[in-house]
Amino acid sequence: MAPLQPCSVLVVDDEAALRKAIKTSLAASGFTVEEAATGGDAVSVIQRRPFDIVLLDVNMPGVNGIDACRKLRALAPRTGIIIVTVRDAEEDKVRALEAGADDYVTKPFRFRELVARLRAVLRRIRVDVTAEPAILQAGDLKVDLENRMLWKSGDEIRLSPKEFDLLSFLMKHQGAPLTHVRLLRAVWGVEYGGEFEYLRTYIHMLRKKIEDDPAKPQYLLTEPWVGYRFRNPFDPDQQGAALEDE
Amino acid sequence: MAFHLHLGFISASFCYLLLVVAQSLTGDFGSAAIVACLSVACLDFFFVEPLFSFQVESPLDTLGLAAFLIVSLVITKLVTKVRAGKEISRMNHENLQKIHSLAQELFAVEPDAKGGECLLQPFCGVFGIKAVCLFDAASAEVHVAGTVSDVLERKTGEVYIHTKDQEDPENGIAARCIRAGGRPTGAIGFQGLENPAQTAGPLAALAAAHLERTRSFHRASQAAAAAQTEAYRTAILDALAHEFKTPLSTILTAAGALREAELLTPEGREMADTVESEAARLGRLASRLIRTARLEREEVKPWVELIDLDSVIADAVNQYNRPSTGRRILVIKECDGCEVMADPELLRLAVSQLLDNACKYSEPGSTVALNIGRSHDEVVVRVRSTGNAIPVGERSKIFDRFYRGIDARLIGPGSGLGLFVARKIVLALGGSLDLDNNAANTDGAVFRLALPTPERERYGATAAV
Repeated sequence: MAPLQPCSVLVVDDEAALRKAIKTSLAASGFTVEEAATGGDAVSVIQRRPFDIVLLDVNMPGVNGIDACRKLRALAPRTGIIIVTVRDAEEDKVRALEAGADDYVTKPFRFRELVARLRAVLRRIRVDVTAEPAILQAGDLKVDLENRMLWKSGDEIRLSPKEFDLLSFLMKHQGAPLTHVRLLRAVWGVEYGGEFEYLRTYIHMLRKKIEDDPAKPQYLLTEPWVGYRFRNPFDPDQQGAALEDE
Repeated sequence: MAFHLHLGFISASFCYLLLVVAQSLTGDFGSAAIVACLSVACLDFFFVEPLFSFQVESPLDTLGLAAFLIVSLVITKLVTKVRAGKEISRMNHENLQKIHSLAQELFAVEPDAKGGECLLQPFCGVFGIKAVCLFDAASAEVHVAGTVSDVLERKTGEVYIHTKDQEDPENGIAARCIRAGGRPTGAIGFQGLENPAQTAGPLAALAAAHLERTRSFHRASQAAAAAQTEAYRTAILDALAHEFKTPLSTILTAAGALREAELLTPEGREMADTVESEAARLGRLASRLIRTARLEREEVKPWVELIDLDSVIADAVNQYNRPSTGRRILVIKECDGCEVMADPELLRLAVSQLLDNACKYSEPGSTVALNIGRSHDEVVVRVRSTGNAIPVGERSKIFDRFYRGIDARLIGPGSGLGLFVARKIVLALGGSLDLDNNAANTDGAVFRLALPTPERERYGATAAV
């Protein structure tokens, strides 16, 4: 399981055993790995040299993961940041995403889930530097951003303007968890942020239009209390969310 | 002397009137009245014709003497009344000062001071009362101070029972009912209290205020203690979540890397697989336990959306359909397309609790049947197990928090939270979870979980565009 391209990862965790296990495992899979024991150390390391991805634990003594994330994002805007948190810490997840994190993994995580998340984030940050395409494609869905059209398996699907805006925004950030607030502000406007019911309703309508079985969504995944994630079911790098529940 | 000065009747009358007023100012009404009568006699004897005789010849003199007597008595009465009023006012002022001092002393008593004596001592000290007895109904305790007699204690108790104030002048006892918000909360009895008609009431009111203050303090202390306990509990749960899951992540990462490294023999890979899957299972169990403990206290906040019940049930069943449980789980679908509006995480937890319960208490080697069907506007899941019949007397209690049946306690450890939390979740999802008494038989238990079917019309028109 080698990464797509050479990739450097900074593992930040106060637990030495976990750091070592992750470092050894990722190194064996072809990643270049360095360690930092605290948020402060991570900031110092990033100032010395850039990394493709930082794997950052939330619960750390001293500078916690959220604050470290904010500082790292300010220092290295192009570095992917993955937060490591525990289940039932939805507030931490939202705060981390708002502080600039690209994704999160939930402890205890499997190694292949971790690698899948790393790859997905890596791909996203590398795609981000390129120009925005006029056509977005994911699985059997195709979106023409210029003409505001959607096709599923070649058949055109009619969407309302808001449905189209929401789907295209999700598809532009496919694989990434997007918080409710971010989605509302991007699609409805900056004055929105607490109207979760709008999102719930529009996601429900979109699922009816694009999912084979709306009750078992493959594209539009719910991240409870956090937001939504568009996943390409045919992209192995975007299977981290599915692996988490195994 | 007036006679020797050769004063006339009128002048002498005024002199005698002054004498009567002087007596009224210093003596009581009786002595002043006697002086008035003597003055009338002297006036008659020395200044009214015939002199040196008590006879009165002129009707005008009779009228004058009568007028003098009436005026003297009226003045005497008025002066005595004013003096009495002044005396009462002085006593009231003194009492007020004493009550003020008592209130200050009572406020100085710590609300958490142990023993009612601390509360009652100021009553004895400030008012010089022989004995005080207080009955606090909330704690059903009797507090005393001073030399208390049985009669005082008895009278105080009677006042609370009959909620009627009592006076016993013979024993010098005055007892008053203590009320808070119109409700009797105790009684207080005084022995040797001066002027009880005036002071017992305010003293009882002060005692009531202090008792209420003490109770409020205890309530606030208990609330603070509960909040602190909750804070500790949250801290412990967070620590557990972190301390448990970090080593599990280490094991999972190491086992996963071992398998991926392709350095192991097929048997080694199989062992790494086992380590990984069992560690993942342990993680899920830890998550479930921590989640259950949190949900036990917290309000359930579901994130409701349209979900497929089959896939949620399949997830839960996969956790228990393994050899280690010693039971087989059979899913029987009696309807197609069971979509419900629910929070998948919470619903999975509720179904897992039911399966956990069924596997734990059913007959080893038996089959746990899980039926999914529809009934009117509900989707119904029935979990049926054998060998764990719930006694009739326990059926109404099994969903109570921390309740564990007698048989359950014999079988193994448990928290008594599983069914409580499962029902809490299902109720939050708008459904119901009950023991199915209709299907109950002598050798097993059937739990019925019902969820409302989705109201599709509700969706589609509510959003802003």
